[in-house]
This record gives sequence, C-alpha cells and structure tokens, in this order.
Amino acid sequence: MGIEVTTRDEATIVEISGNLDANTTPQAQEEIMPLIVPNCILVLDMSKCEYVSSAGLRLLLTVAKRVKATEGGQWCLASVSAEIMDVMEMTGFAKFFKTFDTVSEAIEATRKPL
Amino acid sequence: MERIDANPTHEYGGFKLRPGSPLPFGATIFPAGGVNFSIYSRHATSCELVLFEKHKPEPFATIPFPDEFRIGNVFTMVVFDLDFENIEYGYRMDGPFNSAEGHWFDKTEILMDPYARAIGGRDVWGEEPDWDNIYPHRARIFYDDFDWEDDHPLEIPLEDLIIYEMHVRGFTRHPSSGVKYPGTFAGIRGKIPYLKEMGVNCVELLPIHEFDEFENSKISPVTGERLMNYWGYSNVGFFAPKAGYAASGRFGMQVDEFKALVKELHENGIEVILDVVFNHTAEGNENGPYISYRGIDNKTYYMLTPEGYYYNFSGCGNTLNCNNPIVRNMILDCLRHWAADYHIDGFRFDLAAILGRDQSGAPMNSPPLLETLAFDPILGKCKLIAEAWDAGGLYQVGTFPSWGRWAEWNGKYRDTLRRFLKGDPGVVPEVIQRLQGSPDLYQWRGTSASVNFITAHDGFTLMDMVSYNGKHNEANGEGNADGEDHNNSWNCGWEGPTDDVGVNRLRFKQIKNAAAMLLISHGMPMILAGDEMGRTQMGNNNAYCQDDEMSWIDWGLLDTNAELVNFYKKMIAFRKAHPVLRGSTHFQNRDYVGSGYPDISWHGTKAWYVDYSDERPIIAFLLCGLHARGGTERDSYIYVAMNMHWEMHGSELPKLPEGMSWHVFANTDAQPPEDIWEVGHEVMIENQPEFLVGPRSIAILVGKRVGE
Repeated sequence: MGIEVTTRDEATIVEISGNLDANTTPQAQEEIMPLIVPNCILVLDMSKCEYVSSAGLRLLLTVAKRVKATEGGQWCLASVSAEIMDVMEMTGFAKFFKTFDTVSEAIEATRKPL
Repeated sequence: MERIDANPTHEYGGFKLRPGSPLPFGATIFPAGGVNFSIYSRHATSCELVLFEKHKPEPFATIPFPDEFRIGNVFTMVVFDLDFENIEYGYRMDGPFNSAEGHWFDKTEILMDPYARAIGGRDVWGEEPDWDNIYPHRARIFYDDFDWEDDHPLEIPLEDLIIYEMHVRGFTRHPSSGVKYPGTFAGIRGKIPYLKEMGVNCVELLPIHEFDEFENSKISPVTGERLMNYWGYSNVGFFAPKAGYAASGRFGMQVDEFKALVKELHENGIEVILDVVFNHTAEGNENGPYISYRGIDNKTYYMLTPEGYYYNFSGCGNTLNCNNPIVRNMILDCLRHWAADYHIDGFRFDLAAILGRDQSGAPMNSPPLLETLAFDPILGKCKLIAEAWDAGGLYQVGTFPSWGRWAEWNGKYRDTLRRFLKGDPGVVPEVIQRLQGSPDLYQWRGTSASVNFITAHDGFTLMDMVSYNGKHNEANGEGNADGEDHNNSWNCGWEGPTDDVGVNRLRFKQIKNAAAMLLISHGMPMILAGDEMGRTQMGNNNAYCQDDEMSWIDWGLLDTNAELVNFYKKMIAFRKAHPVLRGSTHFQNRDYVGSGYPDISWHGTKAWYVDYSDERPIIAFLLCGLHARGGTERDSYIYVAMNMHWEMHGSELPKLPEGMSWHVFANTDAQPPEDIWEVGHEVMIENQPEFLVGPRSIAILVGKRVGE
C-alpha cells in the first residue's frame, strides 16, 4: 500500500495504491488523519487501489466521520474500481461515501458544497 | 499510557503470546493488541490452536496452549501480530475416546470454535467444496463494530405485528427478481420497497446461521438435479451469519452485509425475527463428521443415552444438550450476540419443545433455559416464539412454559382453519376459538401468545393447499415418503394445475378466504412469502432440498396473480387501519364501555344466533369498535361473515347504532375489482338487514356513518 499526497486547486488529493487491509490500514490512517483540518477538501483517489478489506472500509468510514466533525471539511472518493464499489454497495458502506468517476469531477463537485 | 497486557510474556515457534482472558469466549481482537482466543472443554486434556492462511489447505502454525494459561476448564491465550483478516483458526483437542462414556476426542481432527462469529468454507452458495479439505468449516476473526447510527430494534407491540416468513435465498434468487445481488442479504435490501408496499412490518428469516448446503446432498432421481440442504435447519455455527447468503461472502464480509440489511429494514419500519435452530447440529449421529462440538466436549454438547448413543429428538441424528448449564449459557450468549450486535428484534425457536427437556431427555416443568431467556435483560424486549413441539412426540401448543414472555406457533390455528376452509363438519366451535386468538389455549397469556398461520415454509404453500389433496414429493428422492401426510388440504376438484376456469376461480376464492381469516384473527398473523402471489411448489410439501425454481419466488406471479396480491395488500391495510382487530387481551363477550354491544358477538344466518349444526356452516362475528384495544381507542364496527358451505346463504345483519350503515369492504365471492375495496372507500350495501354470502366465501363489512 502506498499513499501519495498532492494538491490541486484547493483540494488535497490522496492517492491510495495497493491493498487497503488490516495490515496497511494503520499506516494509511496515520497519514490521512492529519490532513483533516478545518475547511479541508479531501479527494481520495482510488484508481490504483486494488482491494479494500473490512478494515479498509472502516478506515474510510472513520475518515467520513472525522471530516463531518471538522468545520468546513469536505471529502469524497474518486475512481473507485467496480469491484470495490460492489463490495461497498453489498455491505451498505456505499451510502456513507460520495464517489465520483474521476478526480477532476470530484474537484469540480467540491467547488459547490457536497 | 501503554497497558501492561500489551506486552507478550511467552514465545512459541516465533509467535509472541501471553495468558489470555477466559471471557468472552471465541476469538476477540484486543484493543491492547493481539487476538484473545478462549475455548471451553471440561474433558479435554490439552488443546492446540491451529492457524491457516485463508483458503490454504495446510496450517501455517500450531500453537499449544501452555498449561499455565488454562483457567478452570477454559483454554485461553493472546497471540500477537496476527494478520487477523487473512487467517482462519481451529483447535485440536486431546482427551479420552470412549463412546460408552460419551467421549469422542480425536486429536487429529481440527475443530471449529463454537463461538466463531464468522465462518469460512462455504463462502459462495453452491460452489463445490474441496472434499479433501482437512478443515472444511473454518472459524474467522471479525470486527464487531458497525456504524448503526441511530438504529434500534423497533419494539413493535406483538399484537400489531404482521410477520412475513421468507427464505433469504429463495426470496430473490429467481432471475425475475430483478435485484442486483440475487439470492442474498443485499438482494433482500433491493426488495424492501415491495415489503413496504405489501405493508408487512416484520420479516422472519429461515435459518441464516452458517450451515452446509452440501450436507446430505445427492442427485434427485426425478430431476437429475443436485439436492441441497436448502432450508438450512442444521447449524454448523450458531454465532455466524451464513457466508453463502451474502453477496460479499466471497470477500468474507457477510457480517457487515447482514447488519446493513437489518439496519435498512429497521429504517423502513420492518422488524427482523430469526429462525434459530438450537435443537441439534450438523454433526449428525455416530456416523456424522467432526465439525466442532463432538470433538470439543461431546458429553457437554449432546444429549446421550446411558449407553452413550445420541438421542434423536430432533429427527436429525443428534440433540443439543440444551439444559446442560454450559450449553444453556452458550445459547444465551448466542442470542445476546444477535440481539446486541445485530439488533435482531426476535427469535423463532425451531422444535422448541427440545429446549424444555432435561439432559436425559425428559420434559421439565420449569425448564431453566426457557426461564433464563424469558427474563434475560438483554433479550428483554425481543420477541420469543416457540415452535412448541419436537420430533420426539412432545406437543406443547397451549402449554409451552411462557412466563408471560413466550409466544407460540399455533399449530392448532393452522389445522382448524384448514379444516374449516375445506368445509369439514364439526369445526365451528373450534374456529370460533381460533379467530379470537385461541382463548381456550392462551386464556391467561393474551392474544399475542398466538402466532396465527395457515401456511409456513414447512408444508404446502397456500396455492398448493388449494390445488392438491396429497403431497407430491417425488423430486426429493425419498419415494414420496417424506413430508407431512395430514395436510387438511383440498384441491378444489382437480389434482394439480388445470385449465378448468371454475376450479381455478374456486382456488383463488379459497386463497382469499384464507387471507381474510388470517388477517382478521386476533393474534399475530404470519404470511408465507409468495402466498400473496399464489406461489406453487407443484405439490411438494417438504421442499427443504429444492434449490431451484420450485422454491424460488417467481416475481412474474405479481402480474399473473395480481388479483391475489391486491387482495392481500388491502387486507393488510385493513388490519392496520382497525385497532379493533388487534387487541392484546382476549374478548370478554360483554359490553364494558356502555355502547350497547358486547366487544364481540357471534351470529349466523340469523343475527345474534349461532347455528352449530353442520347443515348451515355459516358463522359471523361483530366487533364493536368502541371496545377497540380494551375500550381505549375508537374504531368502526366490523362484521365478518364466513360461509364455508357450497351453497349461498343469507346472513341477517345485526342492527347498527342510529345513523350508521353497513358497507362492504371485502367479498371473496365477487369478481375483481369488487372483491375488495380501498380502506375508507367501502361501499354501502342496499339491503341493510341482510347480506347474501356466496358459496365458500367471506364477506367483511364495516359499520360506519356515511362519509366516515
């Protein structure tokens, strides 16, 4: 699992690659959580993420909750693979997440409040 | 501050260990780090933890529990640094092998944890397993946390419940279901709009605990198809949802998927009752496999004869030793787990009479298990429903120990109503009891002790009940010897499907009659999923092994039999609209509110007079709306006339209070759309003194002021 953080416009793009599972989630959490600050616009780019386990879904949910509790914070997922999207739908996690097909679309959408 | 117990104290084969905590049983992720393993065995002399990488044929580690880690009869330890999402674990236990003494220890067998909260091995329904697997049903470790938001069990009063009994897979597996994930928990989520449209407020799911659909599987001599353990009344594990029922089972996420279903049903006002099978396990008799219990502590988990053989009160080879204190606690832990971690609203106990037998099999007066469940604080608001009989001949309908908490599947309601429907003589006195919530059986327990049903998964579907005189179970491969012989069914003149318009008309009418009586009876009505659309199993009354179109709901029937669907929907709406149909206490047969009418009164061809002779099998009752819910609510007057004779009879209508008149809500003798009306849009009848009740039909009238 790798995490690469870049910025585009006002948005912070977090590219997660590889597997997000019980082994890698603690590290991902450590890197993502500090990015959640007032008025942050966080886009998790999942285009290179191959697998999200149960622990990974929990991390995403934790991010969602933390952003919600942060003033002016916005976040969304971009470029989620069909298989990961499927798992999110089956398990009911999808309803907690806003997803966009591409990072650009996600950024565009965050210009208006999500 | 770092916890002291975050540090290992021992090491074995490269694994860091420390003494564990005996409670909770099972495998638990410890916040301080590591996984805590804890398992009971009274008679084992030693125990090893066996670890597999997910799906791998051979274990990657075996760690003996150091003797100093054992507390009492519990083996427990914490293992650090496990990749818990990707492992499966089991146990090997050593101890005596002496079947006459009841001991079956075999240290070569790898045993599943009875407290496993997730179980792998049958991850995708029907996927051919590796028959050489040394550990076919594998315990897994799973997070207990879930984002329930503000979800809470609904606690709908018993008397307001409308139960819909369904099979998870059968409900949406048919291609016509149109859901994205057919045959799964997620699939049911896709059909919640339908359930809401029908108006049911509770689903009762056939067993959803991990079972082996390949148990006793064989090829049908008739169809050539593989017969499966489709119903699943044979638990592998009591604490784990069936992976094969989850679309995400192949990712091991069945726990989350099932919780998401419960949560979404609750959001839509629908409760969830689980059918729980604590009477036996999938280990069968002396010739059965080692899965778990037998190798962990056979003498604790099973009822054994003095010679050490398995008692078979379940008809399935063995009997769980429910009133052994250890097993009793396991059952309690299990139900608490479903109530607390899954927000389950209630339980229906399969062959519950077994739960009242002692360790030698004798029925007990105050069975401690049933009493414990009745008073348990965590289960305090859960519905407890007994199938109050077993395969050993114990029949306790009306006498199941209840402590004011237990309800029963009222088998006598089913039998009586079926006999009445087909016009059997001499049943009127009993029908009168059944329609009133069976006060003869539940005098002190109230109406909601009775779950009223005419059909259930076990037996004919309603369409088959009016289409077949006898069962047709050849496809089950047992020469039509399996399944109930006393069905009280009537084929309406032709065995099986027919083009005869008259026969088909009568069948529809009989289905409507059944639906009408079920939904105007006091007690909790239970509808078998698919009955509302006339589902058939082609006369098979024991389709436990039929994983095919015989069992799956064909959603095309919604159009084919729209007339029935419409009738059910409106009957359900009628029940919900009228509190006078849903009293929790029994009728008193007197006027206690000063309305001039008793709460209930019985009539026949003549008002205020019931003819019990068989020549005029027409009975009717009048409910006084001012007595609704013991006089606490105001409702209309309701008159229900039931004519199960093959000829039409007039029913003299009781006179209503000044200014009120009789309106028809339903008349099963009439052709649609005049068979049933929208609630509140009942049609005033011209001839107020009398209503002609057609042959084998039911009329439901509402007494109200014009415009009400």
